[in-house]
Amino acid sequence: MTAADKTPVPAAEPREAGTQLRPGLWQTINERYPGSMIRKESFVSQASLSKPLAEARLTLISSCGVHCKTDPPLDVCHPFGDFRFKRVPSSSKQRELIIHQLKYPHDDADLDLNVIFPIERLQELHLERRIGSLTPNFFSFIGYNMDPERFERTVAADIADAVVQQEHADCALLAPA
Amino acid sequence: MSVPYLREAAAHDDLDKLVRFVRLHLGDGNEAVGQDEIDRSWAQATKILLRYEPVDREFISSVLEKEESTLALLFYHLHFYLIRKSGRWIHDGSR
Amino acid sequence: MSVTVARDVTEAVKVPRALFLPWPMGHHFGVPFHLDLQRRVILAALMLLEESAEPGTIRDLPIKWADVRREAKSMLTIQGQRL
Repeated sequence: MTAADKTPVPAAEPREAGTQLRPGLWQTINERYPGSMIRKESFVSQASLSKPLAEARLTLISSCGVHCKTDPPLDVCHPFGDFRFKRVPSSSKQRELIIHQLKYPHDDADLDLNVIFPIERLQELHLERRIGSLTPNFFSFIGYNMDPERFERTVAADIADAVVQQEHADCALLAPA
Repeated sequence: MSVPYLREAAAHDDLDKLVRFVRLHLGDGNEAVGQDEIDRSWAQATKILLRYEPVDREFISSVLEKEESTLALLFYHLHFYLIRKSGRWIHDGSR
Repeated sequence: MSVTVARDVTEAVKVPRALFLPWPMGHHFGVPFHLDLQRRVILAALMLLEESAEPGTIRDLPIKWADVRREAKSMLTIQGQRL
């Protein structure tokens, strides 16, 4: 065996290997903030699209904390999170929106919101008739939250109700930040 | 630290757990950073008061009449306000 | 359907279907002004919506972050901007 053979092969760097950049994220956060991470025991049964995408109405839901500049921001200071959400008109221009969040890097999203909330790309796909229509409103909330049970009962349930009953969406694109 | 975990810590007056959580929150997941941020916000409040500018004590008295949950949340807001004022803002990925 | 950069978190939550990207937090649709890439992510997610049948399907979009950064850098160079 040569010296070269004994040299341990370095683990591939995630950026080059195409693997999760922050491996073990669930475990890391749950150790840091015990009980804050959600783990479900069973899958939600999969609903299939009842019509072609070119005829379907799509909504966008994101934890990125974006809102209309004319709206007051959500509360990023509360230690347990903000249990409210924002409606963002799907016809909004990027210049009308702003991200208000502390817990994830959004310097690139501040340059181009579409990296986390691809509202303009969805508008284009709708114009091209790849997507039938967009719901009048999209949805946004603060992803940082220390009370997943309350969050699910309030924010998640309220958004789900609004998406189905008010916006009449056929499908949703979820963009966690 | 989920709310149920913190409620249990609060019931046992477990300061270590509660303070660790506060530091993690203020330091965006880094306890040492959070401790530093707490020190900085107090230092910044002190720096501002060193200017001996006029203060509105009547306003403070009226604010302190508010319910304690509002005041507790205001405390967190004031912390972040002072951190911004200190000019050293590490949050939201700003470079 | 969801787009995710944290496969393990998505596995724990057991979402019906997700598209995994090996990219950093806050960059689920790529990098600023890279319209083609942003579009590609959305279209891959939409395709999954039409194709996946099994709950918990997590499909990879195998684009390395290093390649995305290299592309972003060359785009900015072409535009004559500084990184």
